[in-house]
Amino acid sequence: MNVATAGAVAPAAVAHLARHRTLPVVDPLAPLLPSDALVRGQTVSCRGVAAPSLALALAVEATAAGAWLAIVDVPWLGVEAAAELGIPLERLVRVDRAGAAARDWADLTAAVLDGFEVVITRVPRRLDAGARRRVQARVKAREAVLLAVGDPSGVDVVMEASAPVWEGVEQGWGHLRGRRVTVESSGRRVPRPRRVDLWLPAPGGGVAVVEEAATALRSVG
Amino acid sequence: MTRMVTVWCPDWPVTAAEVAADVPAAVLHANRVVARSPAAAAEGVHVGQRRRTAQQRCPDLVLLDHDPDRDARAFEPVVHAIGRFAPRLEVVEPGWLGLAARGPSRYFGGDERLAEQLVESTAGAAQVGIADGRFASAVAARRATDGPAVVAPGGSAAFLAPLPVAWLAEVGELSGLDAELVGLFARLGLARLGDLAALSSGDILARFGPPGRHAHRLASGSDDRPAGATDPPPERRVERSFDDPVVQLDALVFVGKHLADELVAGLDAEGRVCTRLVVTAETEHGERCERAWYRAAGMSAPAMVERVRWQLDGWCNQPGGLTGGVVLLRLAPEEVRGDDGDQLGLWGGRSAADERAARAVTRLTGLVGDRAVLVPAWQGGRLPGDRYRWVPAATTDLADPDDTAERLRPTLDDGPWPGALPSPLPAVVLPDARPAELVDADGRPVEVSGRGELSSAPASLTIGGRDPQPVTAWAGPWPLDECWWEPRRHRRQARLQVVTADGAAHLVVAESRRWWVAAAYA
Repeated sequence: MNVATAGAVAPAAVAHLARHRTLPVVDPLAPLLPSDALVRGQTVSCRGVAAPSLALALAVEATAAGAWLAIVDVPWLGVEAAAELGIPLERLVRVDRAGAAARDWADLTAAVLDGFEVVITRVPRRLDAGARRRVQARVKAREAVLLAVGDPSGVDVVMEASAPVWEGVEQGWGHLRGRRVTVESSGRRVPRPRRVDLWLPAPGGGVAVVEEAATALRSVG
Repeated sequence: MTRMVTVWCPDWPVTAAEVAADVPAAVLHANRVVARSPAAAAEGVHVGQRRRTAQQRCPDLVLLDHDPDRDARAFEPVVHAIGRFAPRLEVVEPGWLGLAARGPSRYFGGDERLAEQLVESTAGAAQVGIADGRFASAVAARRATDGPAVVAPGGSAAFLAPLPVAWLAEVGELSGLDAELVGLFARLGLARLGDLAALSSGDILARFGPPGRHAHRLASGSDDRPAGATDPPPERRVERSFDDPVVQLDALVFVGKHLADELVAGLDAEGRVCTRLVVTAETEHGERCERAWYRAAGMSAPAMVERVRWQLDGWCNQPGGLTGGVVLLRLAPEEVRGDDGDQLGLWGGRSAADERAARAVTRLTGLVGDRAVLVPAWQGGRLPGDRYRWVPAATTDLADPDDTAERLRPTLDDGPWPGALPSPLPAVVLPDARPAELVDADGRPVEVSGRGELSSAPASLTIGGRDPQPVTAWAGPWPLDECWWEPRRHRRQARLQVVTADGAAHLVVAESRRWWVAAAYA
């Protein structure tokens, strides 16, 4: 696990972050996104059975390159899992919601966006359109990226994980080692839906592409 | 080597905040004290202390926010007062400025007289030090608590020799990284500047590299301009003229930002940073404002923009104001030094993002409270959610790498805890375990014996009020018996990893004869 060295940030990587209009993602996830990266100012929703891991995986490369990550109103997100995927914990802050009203979430997220470039959060179900527009406008203005766990409407990119297959556990022995999922991206900013088979998490940590099994022999005739 | 005067106002941020001297007050930045009033100092509050420690020493302490703009605005009158003595002065930061000594000293008839005049012109708020070289003069100013300190020409080395090596970090001549270097000197037994100066510069360079060599030169009282520092050609300066005079400060600062980016990019390409910058602005009627800014560690683009704003703010808001709009803004680097690669903290990207996050955390703590803004701190443990605990972000200094390293140490270098779950760890850790039912193929609840064996193979898992899910795979039970010696904290449980037909995996735990779902591998 390479988390221990994540603290030292190369100036070149940081300059890249500051000047470019995108935030990088790990290679296996890149083909799912237009521009092969997270475009600043966009909102991405992560749905399906692997939604929390997917949201964390999308944040890995950007935080490793120096961006700060805030986790808003998701107190059950496992920080050890985040560290295993590759997120440097020195740039992670968790913010819990004080009030129960949806308006409070919008105010809080807007304040968080002032200081953090990557935000993972849950969008309240009953959020009025005005508050949602306000938060989206703030995401654009601050050139941040909002990763929503769940299924809010009005996002730019939708990533859905399906067909999960866990490896490593049998009938009474072994232990969970890795999970294969199919991740599909769609939404307003994705003109053609794209699909990739991934290990999330991969055995040994992180995210990886599922290698294609050797195709069956075909007789040539 | 130039003979320099340093005028230094101790704890300037507190003075700028206009706090009475008998009120204990401290200015805080990133949870640490940067300046304190004499009353606070008497109670034991020191620069560099954490907020909690300072409050412990002095419960009545008035806490003030760090506001560099306010400091700069308040410093303008001092700069003007000193500016009458010497046209060529350079400001390092609000509270600290330097000027060449030779001309003014001759005019006033000697260094001592010059120093007295300077102190008088600031109504006793400033401490003055005069010596050969910027570093020695800055140290002299800080030690000049009872009247100005004048070091005889050529006497810098002797003056510095008995002083502790911590002065190298104190005066801020070296960049943040080198505070470690200074600590290293102390640990190696080089307690005084004289000890450091006594070593050969070749050995120092070989062992510590260019930063060490720079420290050695400073400690020896020799020229503090680093070897390889040159004056850049005039073409390096950047300027912008306006056809329509500009009257708004924000618009000017915006232009200043572009100029600074251009300048820094040009110097970057040559591998250099600017240490002395002259900012000039002119109005359509010929009024002019020119000031030199000095920073030994070099200026990043944000640092330059900050100084441009301070200077223009003070100039535009001076008594009487300006008679016209600004038609020219120029940034001219007068001194540059090679970028030795130890300038990590100056790059626009990293430190700016750290600062932004730290400021946002302060605001958020005000919005939702101490307990709702949290950062992880290493604790160690076997259960998911035990390895890290959450501590209020307000108790840490987020932009301080030492603080963060201490909080998160040890990371995965620590050996695995016996009995801990193997990786991968669950992405969803429920704060309160949810009750569940685990039954076998005949519908009987699965039980775990005292020896850690299951009574039968699990076939169906029901979590809370949801529908039962068939179990497709499972592993365990892995028993856990923690703190058996302490009745209150004794935990005895058996853990299973269970995969259900919908592809979900859960950490299912048997405790107190019941099943619970403690975490989900989501």
